[in-house]
Formats: sequence, C-alpha cells, structure tokens
Amino acid sequence: MSGIVNVRDLAVGTRVMLGSGAEVEIVSNPKDGVWLFARYLSSADDAALVGQEDMIFAQDVVEVRS
Amino acid sequence: MNGTRGYHSGLVDLASGLISREIFVNEEIYAQEQERVFARSWLFVGHESQIPNPGDFFASRMGEESVILCRDRAGAVHVFLNSCRHRGMKVCRYDDGNTTVFTCPYHGWSYGTDGALVGVPFFREAYHSELDRAKYGLVEVAQLCCYKGTVWACWDAAAPPFLEHLGEFSRFLDLILDGWDGREGQAELLGGVQKWIIPCNWKWPAENFSGDTYHNISHRSVDLVGAGPSGRSRRDYSELSASRRLHVAIPDRGHQTITYVLPRDHQPQPAYQNSPEVAEYFRHCEEERRRRPGANSRLIGAPGEIFPNVALLPRQPRTLAVWHPVSAHQTEVWRFFFVDRDAPRAVKNFLRDYYIRYSGPAGMTEQDDMENWNYAHAASRGVIARRYPYTYEMGMGHAVADYEWEGLRMPGRVVDLTKAQASEEPMRNLYRRWAQFMEADSWDELATWRREAAREGLAAQ
Repeated sequence: MSGIVNVRDLAVGTRVMLGSGAEVEIVSNPKDGVWLFARYLSSADDAALVGQEDMIFAQDVVEVRS
Repeated sequence: MNGTRGYHSGLVDLASGLISREIFVNEEIYAQEQERVFARSWLFVGHESQIPNPGDFFASRMGEESVILCRDRAGAVHVFLNSCRHRGMKVCRYDDGNTTVFTCPYHGWSYGTDGALVGVPFFREAYHSELDRAKYGLVEVAQLCCYKGTVWACWDAAAPPFLEHLGEFSRFLDLILDGWDGREGQAELLGGVQKWIIPCNWKWPAENFSGDTYHNISHRSVDLVGAGPSGRSRRDYSELSASRRLHVAIPDRGHQTITYVLPRDHQPQPAYQNSPEVAEYFRHCEEERRRRPGANSRLIGAPGEIFPNVALLPRQPRTLAVWHPVSAHQTEVWRFFFVDRDAPRAVKNFLRDYYIRYSGPAGMTEQDDMENWNYAHAASRGVIARRYPYTYEMGMGHAVADYEWEGLRMPGRVVDLTKAQASEEPMRNLYRRWAQFMEADSWDELATWRREAAREGLAAQ
C-alpha cells in the first residue's frame, strides 16, 4: 500500500505534517484532491506563518498526525 | 472563396437575393466568423436558476470557447474562460456543480469562484514568491448582463450594452421570460440542458428559426400524428384564424421572428386539452395576461432568432436554443426549456413530456428540422454544388416600416404573412447583419443606430 496521503479523505480538524516539517490543521477541504485550506500550527522555516491560514498543496502533505 | 468580392456584393448579395453556399461550407469563412462574429457579439450563457447558491457553476460555451458561469461566494455572477492561465488546461471539467475553487488538474493552479488565482503549487519554493498572482486570474468576459434570469456575455468591451443590442426586440424575448400570466420574469429552467451535435453549419438552424414558415410541409407527419398538447396538430393555434401573422425583422440588430397579433378584446381559446388541470392553468393565465397593461398581452410568440445564434420558441414548446459552432460542418445544439416557476407540479410534468416529444434530439419536430439541415449541408459541400447560390428572393420589397394593426405598432420591418404565408425577409435580415459583422472592423461601424441618433440630434439643433 502506498504511503501517499489521499487528501480527499482528510476531515476538518485533522493535523498534517508538510514537507518543510511544518504542522497545519485543516480548516476546510474542497475535496478536489489537490488543495487543502489549513492553519499553521508550527513552522520552523518561517515562524511568521504560525496562526496564518493558507492553501496547502497535496504534494506538500507527507504525514497525517491526528 | 474569391477574396476580391465583399460579403455584401458577392457572397451575400441582398440586391439580387442570392447568397453563396460558401458562407455555410467554407472553412476559411468559418474561422473568420469566430473572430468577427462570436468574439464581438452578445452570446447567451445560461440562466440564473442554474446557479442559485454561492459556489454554484455551470460549464457553458461562447462560440468555440468553453466558459464557466458561476456565482461567487459573495453572490455575484461571473463568466470566465475555462482555461488555466498557466498551460490552458480546463479548470472545470464538470457540466455543473458547487465548488469553493476551480483547480487545474495539470499543475494544480487553483482559482476562487471570483476568478482570482488563489493557489500556485510551490509558490514559495519554485516561484520564490515572485509570481504576481493578481495578473493571472481567470480571463473574465468584458461585459455581462443578467436579464430576467437569463445570463448574456460578450468578449468585446466596445460592444453596446445588452439591452441596446436587443433594441425593440426585447418584447419578443420577454414572451419566454415573463410569466404566462404576464408577470415579469417568472421563467425557470425545467430540468437539464439537452445537448447534441448535428452535422451542419450553425447558420442552418439560425436561419430556420429566424422565421421559416415555408418549411411547414416537412412537419406534416408530426401534425398528422397529433403530437400537440391537445392531441391534434403539433401545437394549439386556434387563435391564428383571428390573428395577423407577421414576420418582424429589426434591420440594424439582426434579430427577427414570427409573431401573431391578436385582435383587441380577444378571448382565450381552449388549449392543452389532453389534461383538464393544465388546460385550466393556461386558461387562467391567458385571462390574467389580457388584463395586464402592455403590448405583449396581444402577442403570441413563435420562432425567432437573436443574432447571432440564439433561437426563441416562446410558446409550445417554450424554449431557447443555442447553436454553438464546432466547425464549418458541425454544430453543438443546446436546448433550454422553461416553465413558470410557480406553476403546479402537474403542469410542469405535462409540459416536460410535451417539450421533449416536440424538441431536442428525441423531439419529432426537431428531428424533421435536423434532417433538412444536415442533408442540405452535405449536398452543398461539393465543388459543383458550391457554384450555385441559394435564392432568398421570396417577398423582396414587400416589407414595411411602422406596421400597425388595431392600435398595436410593431417595430422594425414587417411582412404580413396572413395571406402571403411566407417570406424570406427574416433570413435576409439575418445575413445582412452577418455580412456587416464580417466586414466591419469595429463596433463604431456596427452600431449604426448610434450614428443615426447622432445625426438626428445634430439636425434638431
């Protein structure tokens, strides 16, 4: 079984880790399999992102945390 | 095609009533039409009842272009080119639905329902946050007009506003869009849109629906079968014996129609006799319509055409058709059916059955029409056939301006068909306007009525 995350299946509130190591929480999912709307919980690369909402590209999602 | 001849004097020769077959079958002319007609005209895109909620969309067409009709999250209506700004992929591949974003499946660029580019994969990493996303929203039409629920759009910012483009023809479109009892803007779309492809040039159906009463013989079998809503003929038209039957053509706009003018104090006639409930509904509506002030209470709608490619059929069935060009030799037909939004369910169901046995790919009358258009087109493609122009001489010189009957004035140029039965004035009107579009370099030349109004203003000073 592939380790690739199917973002269509992710519910609002799910926490995922991105390729950069940042962690985000999903705030809405258009279920197009390409994008998620999420809020940054942590970001080592750019601390200014924490608390911001952004569109997350499916290929950026590397792990489901909860 | 002889490049030394103008469209007026050669291919469309209205002085002699001859029109070359080349305008139907020549692929170079077809390519020019896309730029000169469809990129500059007002085109029908859909109906607001197809997108009632924020995020609703309907994938439509404007000429050969795929477009998205959608309602953004703030409730505003938009029409966008359905093509990603990155590599052109369709960003919407569904017929209709609801969404928060339109996402290109090729590289993932994503657009909000207001057209803004909101998602660019690896924006920070690959583009180094340097791409100006504001420059790359979905391409939006230059002009859009919502008229009594219908949505019209135009790529040309220089075109006159939609209602100016319609001119005095609006009253004939109103016969579809207003309620059957005369209340303003009561129409809603019934069911989905019927779509199919026919092997002929788009101008065949456009010409036919401009007001070809001469071809009624080809629907003889439908009349004999009694496909109409009272089980006789194909429509209920008992009013016609008391009406004036007219061709109305608006010369400077290119719109034209058949219409029937009722005498003053005319009483509703029995109709929809296959169902007592439906018959009672329309009897009531007809009585209400006659009580309302306004010229349309004495008009009965019939086939017509809004330039360039939208056909009206205001009554029995009540429908709009769009003739989308696919190639010189193919047309994609989209047919939209309408009912009064507050009509009883039984009336809507009855009308659905009647509409689809009359019109659309399975409709008996439309099948008759398609056979005519398709075989005529095929028989006009050969090098020998192309040498022989079609004749549009019927009724030349018999149209009048300022036509009036029992106090009701008609706009444009009118041919009274009550005795004549048929004329080709509507077709000449269609091709006159088509030729103007093919020749004119700008809307300054096409909006002839503005020049006349300016001249009259100067003369009055």
